[in-house]
Amino acid sequence: MRSKHRMNVLIFVVLIHFILVSLLFTVVAFSATEEEVSSKQIFDLQQIVDEAQPGDTLVLAEGNYLGPVVINKVLHIQGSNQVLLTNDSPEAAIMIQAEGVVVEGFNIRQNYVNESAAIVVTADEVGLKDLNIQTKGYGILLRDADRGTVLHNSISWLRTKNIKTGEKGNGIDLYNSHNNTIEQNKIQNMRDGIYLENSRQLKILNNQLMGSRYGIHCMYIDGSEIIGNLGEYNITGAMIMGVRDVLVSNNSFLKQSKNVNAQGILLYSVQNSVIEQNIVEGNRVGIYIESSQENQIRENSILRNFIGIQFVHAESNKIHDNDFVSNVIEAEATDSDANEIEQNYWDSAQGLDLNKDGISEIPYAINPFYQELISKTPAFQLFFQSTGMTFLSSMYTNNQESWTKDSSPLMKMSIDSISKPPPSSTEKGNISETTFMLLITSTLLITSVAIIFYSGVSKS
Amino acid sequence: MADMLQVASREIKMGFRNPWAYSFLILFSVFSLSLLLVNSQNEVSGYSGVTGSMLSLILYVLPLMTLFLGSFSLTAEKEEGSWQLLSTYPLGTMSFLIGKYAGLSVVLLTIVSFGYGLMGLITIIIGKTFAATTFLLFLAFSIGLVLLFLSIALFVGSLSKNRWQALTISVMIWFFAVIGWSSILIAVLGLLPYLWIKPVLVFFTFLNPAELVRLFVVIKLGGGSVLGPEYYKWVNWIHQPSGSLVFIGLCLVWIGLSLTIVYWIWERGRSRG
Repeated sequence: MRSKHRMNVLIFVVLIHFILVSLLFTVVAFSATEEEVSSKQIFDLQQIVDEAQPGDTLVLAEGNYLGPVVINKVLHIQGSNQVLLTNDSPEAAIMIQAEGVVVEGFNIRQNYVNESAAIVVTADEVGLKDLNIQTKGYGILLRDADRGTVLHNSISWLRTKNIKTGEKGNGIDLYNSHNNTIEQNKIQNMRDGIYLENSRQLKILNNQLMGSRYGIHCMYIDGSEIIGNLGEYNITGAMIMGVRDVLVSNNSFLKQSKNVNAQGILLYSVQNSVIEQNIVEGNRVGIYIESSQENQIRENSILRNFIGIQFVHAESNKIHDNDFVSNVIEAEATDSDANEIEQNYWDSAQGLDLNKDGISEIPYAINPFYQELISKTPAFQLFFQSTGMTFLSSMYTNNQESWTKDSSPLMKMSIDSISKPPPSSTEKGNISETTFMLLITSTLLITSVAIIFYSGVSKS
Repeated sequence: MADMLQVASREIKMGFRNPWAYSFLILFSVFSLSLLLVNSQNEVSGYSGVTGSMLSLILYVLPLMTLFLGSFSLTAEKEEGSWQLLSTYPLGTMSFLIGKYAGLSVVLLTIVSFGYGLMGLITIIIGKTFAATTFLLFLAFSIGLVLLFLSIALFVGSLSKNRWQALTISVMIWFFAVIGWSSILIAVLGLLPYLWIKPVLVFFTFLNPAELVRLFVVIKLGGGSVLGPEYYKWVNWIHQPSGSLVFIGLCLVWIGLSLTIVYWIWERGRSRG
């Protein structure tokens, strides 16, 4: 009997060991592929450009080219995967000063460490396509350049990783450049993925923005459209400031949760804009709205954030038909009155639908206790969702009329948020994980049953 | 060592003949299952509403269960006279206590692993996503809670004369650590100068195993940023792999210290008869 007990103890120790070892194996390894262009003949691109006639199409031969190059006449420059333009000087690798220039399809490496850029455009109707840019400064700068197209480029950071995001350059940076289209670019590890300032009527479509400070950062870009972009692991997905009449729709901002100031979408001083059909998932704060009025926030899926939506001094906005699912805290509001919050789905709301119209007759009020507490003493954030805190908040029903509330919460989700998997760039194999889980859980169950049986049930 | 194992194996046997153990096993399994089914639409991974509410449930149930089973086991020794008998044998108090601790840990951890095993299997059967890392983190969280609260339970058991006393003190400690904690701290710390609040709060957090383990898991689940800029350094530090080791070390120190206090109380009782 004694040896049996020893066996049980042994099994248990082995089990714990197994769990510890398997924990170690769950580290996800990132593999990066780098395309190296082999050392071939080095050409002087400036000379080639100078020799070309306006209107020419230059097809670059495979090999290495040296920058900087100034393009001051209409040219169409075409490269390939095997073309690499390197620039070690403080000027931009390519400076485009003539209208209608098109540059497409090759690699650019901007080696100068500073406020330099790979491409600077100061002319209208320029097209930049299929470029693969690695930079130690900025990526693409547009200055006073209208009606351009920046399509399908890839921009990433070239220097050591241990640099603060604030000291890097922006991926695509616009100033006073109107009516531009920025589409399908992939930008990684920069300061701001796409930075837009003082530019009107822009179209920012289907870009991918990863690991930067702000995915999209815009100020004063009235009348622009931000549609279909994907942001992951940035500090803030989209930071939208000081704008009117902007449309932000069908974007996905996921996993912006590492930083203490992280948000999916941040709206600051935004008026008359529409934020619709976005997915914000797994962020610290899903949608953060400060000092903004008269906006429509509708049909968004706000999933699994620590805080779903947060209002600070935001008034007269309409928030309707959004789905709030599995957020740790669904909504927080400070000094934000007169927002119309109605017909959203809140998964933790206790609704009651008497007339079967799918809308609850009981309003859903948001308890402000925790928010008020930590705004006075931030140190108490340590109590976020602690059992004692939930208990204390539930006892606090003071002044309930002034709480932010959804007057008519939906009984069911308005959009089928759950079945629509968010487009994530990091897909993991699920099958092996299931097998792994099966192994752990069955081991746990069998071991515990064996211990109970041998020591408790069986007679000795 | 042999004495210790003897005590531990006796404890395990007694533990599984105790109907309390099974009622807690059923309670824990049923609760965790129902919670899982309530949230059955959502995938369980990272820090979200689902994992947040599961954390709360575990924080309610496990400490109470541990305090009851642990303290009753010690008072039973006194009430039923078996300690009087045992103390006439050449059995060291430390071997006795550590044996007790080890035996009770096996009983409690068996209950926990049964609950988790069942919950995990059912998640797989109903085809729900439960990230393996999250699952293991929850398991580790529960083990930590049980082991820390068990040392408090032994403390309660050695202070109380009988089960009734143990029950009262256990409930008191449970309420204080799990439910009343933030209310009391907010009230008391409000009286202090503003700059003292954070250091004093951090200090008290180290004293409460429920809070300590909860915060560790929240941070490991990736929810550290909700604690705000005040705790930025802590969060980063715990997030590193070495953070886990330090945390385990901290738990061991915690358990070691409280067992020493229990030893001291018990030894005093022994020498005075």
